[in-house]
Amino acid sequence: MALVNFADLDFDQIKGSIQDYLRANSDFTDYDFEGSNLSTIIDVLAYNTYITSYNTNMVTNEVFIDSATLRENVVSLARNVGYVPRSRKSARSKISFFVDTSSYTNAPSSLILKAGTVCTTSTFGDQSYSFSIPSDITAPVINNIANFNDIIVYEGAQISQNFTVDAFSPNQRFILDNAGIDTSLIKVKVRSNVNATAANTYTRADSLFDLNGKSMVFFIQEVEDERYELIFGDGIFGRQLQAPEFITASYTVSNGKEANNLNSFKFSGSLMDDNDRIITSGISLITVVESSHSGAPIETIESIKKYGTRIYASRNRAVTSSDYEALIPSIYPETESVAAYGGESLNPPQFGKVFISIKPYNDRYLSNLIKDNIRRKLQKYSVAGIIPQVVDLKYLYVETNSNVYYNPNLAPSANTVKTAVSSNVNTYADSTQLNKFGARFKYSQFLNIIDESHQSITSNITTVVMRRDLRAVVNTFADYEICYGNRFHISDHSGYNIKSSGFTVSGISGTVYLMDIPNDDCNKTGIINLFKLDSPTQPQIIRRNVGNIDYIKGEIILNPINIISTTINKGIPLIEIEAVPYSNDIIGLQDLYLQLDTSKVIINMWTDEIASGAEISGTTHQVSSSYSNGVFVR
Amino acid sequence: MPVERVSQGFKDISSSFKVNPLSEDLIAIKNETAIARSIRNLVLTRQGARFFNPLLGSQVSGLLFENIDGLTSTDIEDQIRVTIKNFEPRVNLTEVRALPDYDLGGFDVTVDYEIVGIDILPQTLSFALQPTR
Repeated sequence: MALVNFADLDFDQIKGSIQDYLRANSDFTDYDFEGSNLSTIIDVLAYNTYITSYNTNMVTNEVFIDSATLRENVVSLARNVGYVPRSRKSARSKISFFVDTSSYTNAPSSLILKAGTVCTTSTFGDQSYSFSIPSDITAPVINNIANFNDIIVYEGAQISQNFTVDAFSPNQRFILDNAGIDTSLIKVKVRSNVNATAANTYTRADSLFDLNGKSMVFFIQEVEDERYELIFGDGIFGRQLQAPEFITASYTVSNGKEANNLNSFKFSGSLMDDNDRIITSGISLITVVESSHSGAPIETIESIKKYGTRIYASRNRAVTSSDYEALIPSIYPETESVAAYGGESLNPPQFGKVFISIKPYNDRYLSNLIKDNIRRKLQKYSVAGIIPQVVDLKYLYVETNSNVYYNPNLAPSANTVKTAVSSNVNTYADSTQLNKFGARFKYSQFLNIIDESHQSITSNITTVVMRRDLRAVVNTFADYEICYGNRFHISDHSGYNIKSSGFTVSGISGTVYLMDIPNDDCNKTGIINLFKLDSPTQPQIIRRNVGNIDYIKGEIILNPINIISTTINKGIPLIEIEAVPYSNDIIGLQDLYLQLDTSKVIINMWTDEIASGAEISGTTHQVSSSYSNGVFVR
Repeated sequence: MPVERVSQGFKDISSSFKVNPLSEDLIAIKNETAIARSIRNLVLTRQGARFFNPLLGSQVSGLLFENIDGLTSTDIEDQIRVTIKNFEPRVNLTEVRALPDYDLGGFDVTVDYEIVGIDILPQTLSFALQPTR
């Protein structure tokens, strides 16, 4: 009998195969007994085979971008299609300060803020962040005051690294030593030799377009350990370096998104005047014009796999909606998630337009300025006649209410179990399964996450609602359309299937709420009414037919209505409207960005008296409803 | 499905790996010799030394660095007994003795056993255990 099974990755199976072989082909009989010499030899053979199989399996995995797991392999495979993964991004802040030079003799005519660290934050939890500028900034002195206004500072340490081009080293590499570099802030200067004072500035190139043998450009590529290598031209595309030219690369090593939302700095920069004197006095406190923002982590392996191939497929042209989705992260690196769809898929259709929703890191919406920038940059990729339109993000929130049964014999306290559940739910809420366009809240998976949170949990009953926040335009007649992208469940044909938070409208005193009444059309549509609460259990309809509801599409339309105020105001007036989904699996359709709202996740701990043995007959078992409660409002 | 043995003889390869001059094959050890070698292998294998079988072997090697006295002797006897019982189903253990050898700094071990399945007289295996690094 020949050895036929080469694919085993289990030591015992391999060993079994060798034993089977010996059983049929050998005079020796002691392979079954662990103490025998033959058994020792079989162990060595099986171990050797196991290691070889394992290595072969892993190597094969790493050869393909779909299955590769090591970052440097994924990056290398993405490099084959010309994709450079996004680097870590420094948080940036806008600051202003002034310097009073009246105390100096020979009053200077200008001051120079030297490249490097400009300001630092105070230490908090053994952590302090420094912000720097990549190049010198000069300000004129007028009436003994030098104003440094609206300076953009970048978080991170400013580092310089030098290389000398070596003619005797044909495979010389220019690798920047540090990880965590923001590649958009790399500055490269080349001097003819180490003693020369004149330097040429090289710019970063991303493609070979418009390059010739004299172009002073450099390319970058990610290498091992999240570091970067500078690549210079070969004399055909980009100028070729000659020995003994001296390269100075300065760059910023950043902490990424950890340095976002900082708004208090103290000056720690270096100032000189035009007489080369160091200025240390007369420096004002720093005014923060914009708190730090836009810090982002290095592109993840998952993202490289996703976008690397799609960028290649789009060939730097935006034709299909997928092309837009692939191009946006390279145009706007702070993109956390993006969705694009053609206007023809809307109702009513808007031909000739493509709509793009972008979720930035660390923020909920894009500013109008950034939207304009993105639109302008997209125009050089898009097909003539197609108008890209960046639209605001629409959040679809998922709220859950879980009654968790647990066996108190297996848990130190209800709070311990609740904390474990809460922690797992928060992890799920932050995961990439949600928090993206096209995401799906998977009900069964969510139940399983709760069940597996602690050994004492025996079951859970969880109800799900979906919510959207209507941004009210106050004191103005406006109509509203709120899409959920998921079919609504009708639990009561007399109405009150949707619930809203309170608001006031012109012409009606007191707080009103939204409610629905299904039409007689097989639960397809309904009307929206306004009602007030005389008491928590006594609603009174105030105004009928203020809008329509489409249960199948999951859509609420309000006719022109003048909203005066809302009971919920998070900087902007909001009306929260919730509905029970027809299916407990909720999807983020088109531009809807799905989020599990952890602030609205309710976890109640219930003792499982049957499992604990306290009441095995189940007589006193507390039953929790699998359906939503009967309250009329949020 | 368990394999039914046709012969109750035992045949193992010799760890010397020398060639039999007559058959030009590896030297084989049989029956009581093979089993004696197996018992020695088991006793002298440290637990954890064998791949994917961390329980195989005994802790005798470690005990050799304990005090040479009756207490350690008892521990060694227990270890040998348990190891043979767990990993050598071909023998019925009769007695295990480990006597301290104060002069050589080790223990003299004698294992008495009967071989299951073949018609051979009860066997006695003696070997010396000495601490080695």
